[in-house]
Amino acid sequence: MIPFPATRRSVIERIRADDADIRRAAFGDLAAGYWRPSYHYLRLHWRLAPEAAEDVVQAFFTAAFEKRYVERYDPAKAKFRTFLRTCLDRFVQNTQKAERAEKRGGGADRLSLDFPGAESALAEIASCDLRDLDRFFRDEMIRALFERAVDDLRRACEQSGNSTLFRVFERHDLAPAPDVSYASLARELDVTVSQVTNYLHAARRRFRELALGHLRSLCGTDEEFRLEARELFGMEVDS
Amino acid sequence: MTWLSNDLVQRLRDVATRPELASDRYVILRPIGRGGMGSVYAAHDEQLGREVAIKVSNGAAPTDDLDRRLRQEARVLARLEHPGIVPVHDAGLLEDGRWFYVMKLVRGETLADHAVSLEHEAARLVVFERVAETVAFAHAAGIVHRDLKPSNVMVGQFGEVLVLDWGVARVLAGDAPSPSGTEPTQGQGRRSASGEDGGWRGTASGTRMGTSGFMAPEQAHGDSSNAGPPADVYALGALLFWMWTGVAASTDVDDTARRLRAAIPAPSKRLAAIIRKCLSPVPSDRYASATELVDDLARYRRGSAVSAYHETTIEQVGRWLIRYQTFVWLVIAYLVMRVAFAFLR
Repeated sequence: MIPFPATRRSVIERIRADDADIRRAAFGDLAAGYWRPSYHYLRLHWRLAPEAAEDVVQAFFTAAFEKRYVERYDPAKAKFRTFLRTCLDRFVQNTQKAERAEKRGGGADRLSLDFPGAESALAEIASCDLRDLDRFFRDEMIRALFERAVDDLRRACEQSGNSTLFRVFERHDLAPAPDVSYASLARELDVTVSQVTNYLHAARRRFRELALGHLRSLCGTDEEFRLEARELFGMEVDS
Repeated sequence: MTWLSNDLVQRLRDVATRPELASDRYVILRPIGRGGMGSVYAAHDEQLGREVAIKVSNGAAPTDDLDRRLRQEARVLARLEHPGIVPVHDAGLLEDGRWFYVMKLVRGETLADHAVSLEHEAARLVVFERVAETVAFAHAAGIVHRDLKPSNVMVGQFGEVLVLDWGVARVLAGDAPSPSGTEPTQGQGRRSASGEDGGWRGTASGTRMGTSGFMAPEQAHGDSSNAGPPADVYALGALLFWMWTGVAASTDVDDTARRLRAAIPAPSKRLAAIIRKCLSPVPSDRYASATELVDDLARYRRGSAVSAYHETTIEQVGRWLIRYQTFVWLVIAYLVMRVAFAFLR
């Protein structure tokens, strides 16, 4: 089996930690993994204007940290992702009721989030089926997860001076030309065909590890992580 | 941050789960199926220039139980050379140490999808008998499938019928006879359920394997380790029951009988008796092996008496008349002509 990512405990474990730094880091992961699914959910399901959706996302994650309501998560009742979406729904309802969304989160540090980027991506997902909200939220979470894993992989390759590995991954898997082949990549990058396949295997494996690492930090429990990993990659992870 | 389209997200999921082959003989083309134990990919055999199917386990380590089952399946398939069993071409290790095996790429549909096109009894029995014959062959080789169900039967484009998914098959201990042409080679001999031969072993007592509705009661009660040929006979009966009723069998014998009578078209009394005998909750009341079932079905198709059904004298006469109807009609015609001639004279 694939080994359990060792570096990350579940988000709930870390959010419930006494150490403020661990909690803050956990909320950082939570926001990093869920802010964009939340933003798109608010724009498409709640039909909030871009500015209003931005404010709600900022206020929601700030309030989640300050008021500690994420800590009430009960794994017996739902997946963490579903719980978080329900929290978001309630938050929006309360916000609308009180008509003071713009005041929420006031004074708190705003998260540095790429809302223009999320907004420009909205066009492609606008046609998504919104009848199954849980699935929509999950798909958006996976998209965000993969995007982070790709960025991490690129960064790691650059830092280790192994840019060829990422270029092979990029040319073959991320942005493939219609006629791309191992041989054409080998010629282009001046390496052998077996080096191309080795790079590709290594990049895919690393991408998978990175994605699983992020997934681990976004699941409420070990069991939920196992289920999500099986659903995502069709593989079992071992503890 | 990188933006990934829906297509790209799907592509990354595919490539991240794609098996990494150490050799460049096979090029993975696309995923074609996924079950609880393993995933199957279409691949191109660069050496022989043909498309094949490659199966890998869903676990990701050689020590994993799923990987061990995949190895067992490959060995079982390699040992069973039969037109009803997908031939294994090759096996090897992935980069991460897991096993994979290469088999013929079968194009067709599962019985679960194909059954709707089988309207008549004869067509259904042709497909079913091929399944039963394949299982009978396996029983003769000392192997019990243990997970027969409609989705594990493939009907190919040219009518070939294949029994798939031997991952939970049990290799019977002892000296089961080996059918001609399938004598195990050295180092690949008959395995016991003791965990010998590189971890190829049966299931521990108490393990529940199979699929509800097609699983024999003894398997459902967690006694998979002792499930012998009668367990497959039960599953074959459940398959036959499903082909007529469209639903999975229950362990309630009265309910089974009622549903068979209510089926449209209903199976004949003799066929219904064959099905009920297969579905008996007590293993010793079933056919002892698929071979016995195949023999009884052959008798049924010939119009002979079947072991599962005790006929009345009237039924025997009726069956005899139907079986020899050509001869009966000739005799009747002869007698009518004799009477007519006598009358005219």
